[in-house]
Amino acid sequence: MKRLLWTGALTLVVGIGLAISYVPALAHHASGPFYDDTKSVEAVGTVARFVFRNPHSFLFINAPNEDGEMVEWEVELGAAVSMRRQGWTPETIRAGDPIKAVGQPSRAPGTYGICCAQITRPDGSPVRP
Amino acid sequence: MRARHSNKLTIVATVMASIGLVAPGPTLAQDPDDEPEIAPIPYLEGVWNGGPRARRVNGPDAPWVKGENFPVLNERGLAFQSIFDEAVAPKYDCVPSSSPAIQYDPYFMQVVQWPDRVLLRYEKDDQLRTVWLDGRESPPNEYTIQGFSVGHYEADTLVVETDHFVFDITGFDDYNGIPSSQLKKVTERYWKQGTELHMTLTLEDPLFLREPASYSTRWLAAPEGYTLNPYECDAFEARRALRFMVPRYN
Repeated sequence: MKRLLWTGALTLVVGIGLAISYVPALAHHASGPFYDDTKSVEAVGTVARFVFRNPHSFLFINAPNEDGEMVEWEVELGAAVSMRRQGWTPETIRAGDPIKAVGQPSRAPGTYGICCAQITRPDGSPVRP
Repeated sequence: MRARHSNKLTIVATVMASIGLVAPGPTLAQDPDDEPEIAPIPYLEGVWNGGPRARRVNGPDAPWVKGENFPVLNERGLAFQSIFDEAVAPKYDCVPSSSPAIQYDPYFMQVVQWPDRVLLRYEKDDQLRTVWLDGRESPPNEYTIQGFSVGHYEADTLVVETDHFVFDITGFDDYNGIPSSQLKKVTERYWKQGTELHMTLTLEDPLFLREPASYSTRWLAAPEGYTLNPYECDAFEARRALRFMVPRYN
């Protein structure tokens, strides 16, 4: 019975994780040289554009940086060919959509890249294909 | 289904051979009465799913695991690896992945078996490899990204041997900064196991490796009716993330 409860809880957690956003992994290059996996950064703003391409798609978000200045965040996503298999299309996210991305920040100073991001609406509701 | 496919291939091969289009391959042994002998050919055709459902996604320790099957580099290999700069990797200019990496990229692949060749088509980087079964040899001095492949069948297994690769600063994989040379030789063995396609790959490159290294993997059957999508690598987008790295050399 206890095991059943744990299994149920695990299934729920995984299910919620998948519902938030399932974006295929990078798979083209290692994230380590580009992004710092010991840190987390958050961009909450509006979608500037969604570039649905190979080898990587990118989501551009107009949002404040840590100093409160508006910047363009560049969220690196998986290959379009893989995302398409999960139901994503170039129209899944549209310019002007409110959006929130939480992930690893880029390493080079003065850049605003994000990797391995969890993408939701600002209220935490899921972005689904 | 498999027997019917074998018969179809054999008939096509016989017709093509009889009109001089192809030389009889190793699957067309002649019996004393000159009747073509029907040799079994394993049916490997189809679109195969190499994505995350089939196996762990590639990375610094997949499929090459340190302490397990990770190649033992010689001094030259270690020296190249120590000075490697991710920013110069050809993939950021959309140069396609090659063996032994392309087989493990988490994408779909299609296998087509003809009497004189096997076609291996990869969704990743829109690549097509031709495996010649007719005994031909590589033209001299022709080195290419995917190399020159010859193959034959051994019972239920397709054996593919590939050499004549160009020198590639990241020719080993996408993650470990290990090059491969024009001496690289890759041997792949493909067979069906239930509804899955399995492969063991062995890599030799005496210019950089002390000994051969190998990994095994599998593909799942693609959903019914799935066709490979064009990859059409965007060279601008391929380079976009490079700005996010702190330069190794100035």
